[in-house]
Amino acid sequence: MPLITQEPYTFHILCLIGINVIFACSLNAILNVGELNLAHAAFMGIGAYSSTLLVMRLNLSFWVAMPLAMILAAIVSLFIGSITLRFKGAYFLLFTFLFAELIRVLLSNFGVSLFGGIPGITNIPGPSIYIGNLVRIHFSSKIHFYYLILILTLFTIFVMRRIDQSRIGMVFKAISQSDVLAESIGISSMKFKILGCALGCFFAGMAGSLYAHFVGIITPPDFAVHAVLTPIAYVVIGGIGSVLGPVIGTVFLMMLSHFFLRQFGFYEMLIYGVIIVLIIRFMPEGLISLPRRLQMRFGKPR
Amino acid sequence: MEFFLLVQAVVNGVMLGLFYALIALGLSLIFGIMGIVNFAHGEMYMLGGYVAYYLFGTFGLNYFAAMIAALILIGGLGALLEKIIFRPLTARPQMALTSMIAALGLAWVFQMMAIICFGELDKKVPSVFKGIIHIAGAVLSKERLAAIIIGTVLISMLNLFLLRTKAGNAIRAVAQDKEAAALQGVNVNRISALSFSIGCGLAASAGVLMAPIFVINPSVGSDVILKTFLVVVLGGMGSIPGALLGALLLGFIESFGCLFFNVPTVSVLSFILILIILLVRPQGLLGRD
Repeated sequence: MPLITQEPYTFHILCLIGINVIFACSLNAILNVGELNLAHAAFMGIGAYSSTLLVMRLNLSFWVAMPLAMILAAIVSLFIGSITLRFKGAYFLLFTFLFAELIRVLLSNFGVSLFGGIPGITNIPGPSIYIGNLVRIHFSSKIHFYYLILILTLFTIFVMRRIDQSRIGMVFKAISQSDVLAESIGISSMKFKILGCALGCFFAGMAGSLYAHFVGIITPPDFAVHAVLTPIAYVVIGGIGSVLGPVIGTVFLMMLSHFFLRQFGFYEMLIYGVIIVLIIRFMPEGLISLPRRLQMRFGKPR
Repeated sequence: MEFFLLVQAVVNGVMLGLFYALIALGLSLIFGIMGIVNFAHGEMYMLGGYVAYYLFGTFGLNYFAAMIAALILIGGLGALLEKIIFRPLTARPQMALTSMIAALGLAWVFQMMAIICFGELDKKVPSVFKGIIHIAGAVLSKERLAAIIIGTVLISMLNLFLLRTKAGNAIRAVAQDKEAAALQGVNVNRISALSFSIGCGLAASAGVLMAPIFVINPSVGSDVILKTFLVVVLGGMGSIPGALLGALLLGFIESFGCLFFNVPTVSVLSFILILIILLVRPQGLLGRD
């Protein structure tokens, strides 16, 4: 990509796309066990705030703070998941919704000296690498950050793919199709649901930490319920349940809105909404089903 | 605590409760019949408010005529959306999620169309029932009392319709068991369209009702939808009396809570209270298991 353009705006958007791909993949990990987590952005927020505070208050290095933030998000999700995953479908949605609102209200109104209240935290430093005096990379420039995010995005997709192909991935799929049936063959669906949830929140923490140090400003509404609705659209538009679906959906919709629809100014969101409705209406399985559909329509029968 | 404050809190609680109920009833009806969480439902409320603004506020039509016009217009819009967008989705796999995202997309489309057509500034509809009444030392605006009466009438009409008419019975039958209702000769598609339009019409009537009290702008729908979603689950998904009870409960929590605490504390407390209620009764207050 750097061979084609050097424009900072392009790299800014590419970095945001990378962070959103990580986030969409992590959301998909929970959808894989058949539940939709409306508090997923709140876990991203836990990652963002904890990593920021670790770096800014305790002067830890980003490279230590990010994994700690990811582990913290996963631990909180283990705790919350073991309570809320007893509920299914709409009730799980509600509990996660309440949790997300709770986090947003707490962050905006309580512990203002620590969390910065509604204005949030600003001037978050970017990561840097110092190895003696030989290597000094400060990731303040968009291009350096782009490589960091690219590597971590590919790492996330790789991990998700490995899990999807493993035995655990099979168990996840079985539970999402019918958890009663899965339990009848001796799978503890609760245990695996909590595991899937923790996996998703682990990577949500990574997305949050990257977001905080990339954008440099975090505010409570960034991680509210509304913040998770757009990534849900990415996952559904791309195709639920597959590894590449969320990646395709995120890249397609974000490219569409940032590079193409930008020129329509005021009408951007209108066209964006119409496109989402049309894709859902005519391709409910998502963009990932496009090649198969084209083949069914135009290809020769095999 | 002085007595008149309590009276005012009760009136405000009932009014807020009926307001949430008018929107939540439709949301619950649509979920009960079709299994769709209609995220575009708040936008029906918003459009109802604009119908009131233009027909009543600008063209000087009678207030009740404007309300009937909103019921018909937005109800018709609901039936149209059901037919061209949601009905084809219900037969597909993962329909709960896909229909939710379709509704979300629609919500964005309506919001942006409202910004383009009506502008993004707050619009205020002139007050219909001017003046105040003194009851037991409390000062109550006639406007709010009228909203309570009209809201009660609308909800009783819905209740009578569902319990006493043939179409209402058909709606309840489909909500209980789609296949069994179809076997009894109920046209499930028509019932889905009917309940979608009733739900959207009710939300629009809430818009007309509240337009003189609150302001309207293109984002009021998205502010209210998450709260009514909470109300629906608190009452029990698909349960009509449950939605009413949940709405009144939330209205009372909010109006009484504001007497003692500031607004953020009230929302934290109401969330925690609802969490506790749902931990004890996971199927909702009046929901079936």
